[in-house]
Amino acid sequence: MSQEITFLESFTNAVDFQNPVQMSLETELKTLPEWDSLAALGVIVMFDMEYTKAITGDDLAKCMTIGDIFNLTLSA
Amino acid sequence: MTLFALPHIKISGIATAVPKRILSNTEDCPPQLLNERGRLIRNIGIQNRRMMREWECFSDFALVATEKLVEELGWRKEEIDALIVITQSPDYLLPSTAIILQDRLGLNQKTIAFDINLGCSGYAFGLHVIGSMITAGSIKKAILVIGDKSATMNSPLFSDAASATGLEFDENAKPIYFDLNSDGSGFKAIYKPVGGHREPYGPLHSVPVIGENGLISWRDELVLDGPGIMNFSIQRIPPAVINLLNYSKITREEIDFFIFHQANKMINETIRKKLDLPLEKTPSSLLDFGNTSGASLPLTITTQIGQILEKKPHKILGYGFGVGLSWGGFIADISDAKFPPAIEI
Repeated sequence: MSQEITFLESFTNAVDFQNPVQMSLETELKTLPEWDSLAALGVIVMFDMEYTKAITGDDLAKCMTIGDIFNLTLSA
Repeated sequence: MTLFALPHIKISGIATAVPKRILSNTEDCPPQLLNERGRLIRNIGIQNRRMMREWECFSDFALVATEKLVEELGWRKEEIDALIVITQSPDYLLPSTAIILQDRLGLNQKTIAFDINLGCSGYAFGLHVIGSMITAGSIKKAILVIGDKSATMNSPLFSDAASATGLEFDENAKPIYFDLNSDGSGFKAIYKPVGGHREPYGPLHSVPVIGENGLISWRDELVLDGPGIMNFSIQRIPPAVINLLNYSKITREEIDFFIFHQANKMINETIRKKLDLPLEKTPSSLLDFGNTSGASLPLTITTQIGQILEKKPHKILGYGFGVGLSWGGFIADISDAKFPPAIEI
């Protein structure tokens, strides 16, 4: 569980929300007003710095929920 | 092996010219984008940009920068053996802008003049081309001109500038170390698809496209793959810098300043953190000058550390990266060189 909490904290920082947002792994990305190309870049940096993983724009385009992005941290 | 060392080359000075017209990313912004601009500026780190007027060319600024450099160095024009221009904003599709500048500057007809078609990575490549000619003994003094006219009203990233760097033979100069790389498999990350022979201009390209946000764009605009550029920059550049340091046997502590291409703050900060470099050793011109393409290294030197470099010898590492994909860096000792303040036109 703590892995997921850490991820949500990092995700919140990476997206740089203008206003506080309640979210969980089930939250659909399209409901987040800041989920845009800038946010995607922030998440790519987060994966590189915190998870030592390279993800592509296509990887992110396939994600529907925050949980889908979290799952990318677990994949090989 | 992409690493080299060239002896006997002195970087004698840099002069940079920028438009006096300042665009604010907050104020000069379509109203429908105003809300998101605060967040954008915070992340890309660009508040203001410089934009040439419609009738001005990159070469008009290159001319002023070069004249200033020659005056500061006290060079006679007939001494200048080569004028190499790195730009993707030529006056014409042909001939090379460098040759037109040879005449406008009043340089000797024996001057070697040609363009190199590179963008944000170009500075180290240009230093290497001129440096090689000097090391080979074929020339003694040369000028590297670099920059682009790439600012547009809509893009919050790009900004205009032109810079001129003087190089000369110096028996006592310490070697300049280079690392130069190319990867054409990634060319679609940053490219201008229309206007060349693959896709010549046609009637279709004069039809505007109205985006979901109501903004107009054109089919011949620059194509940028943000995630692709981000991954390229943060994955390739830090190890390349380490390789260059290892090759030169110079430690990162011995380097006084690391000058990176000013892409955007997210990219530059990630590179800085991955290399564990202190902020004070990585000068930035992003806030007020944006992404000035190939000019960003010499412009950052001019505007951020020029006066410091004039006071005593320093060791600098410069690294550019971008369109190509292409990336290249250098380590040079700077001593007794001229860095006049940026000229605003």
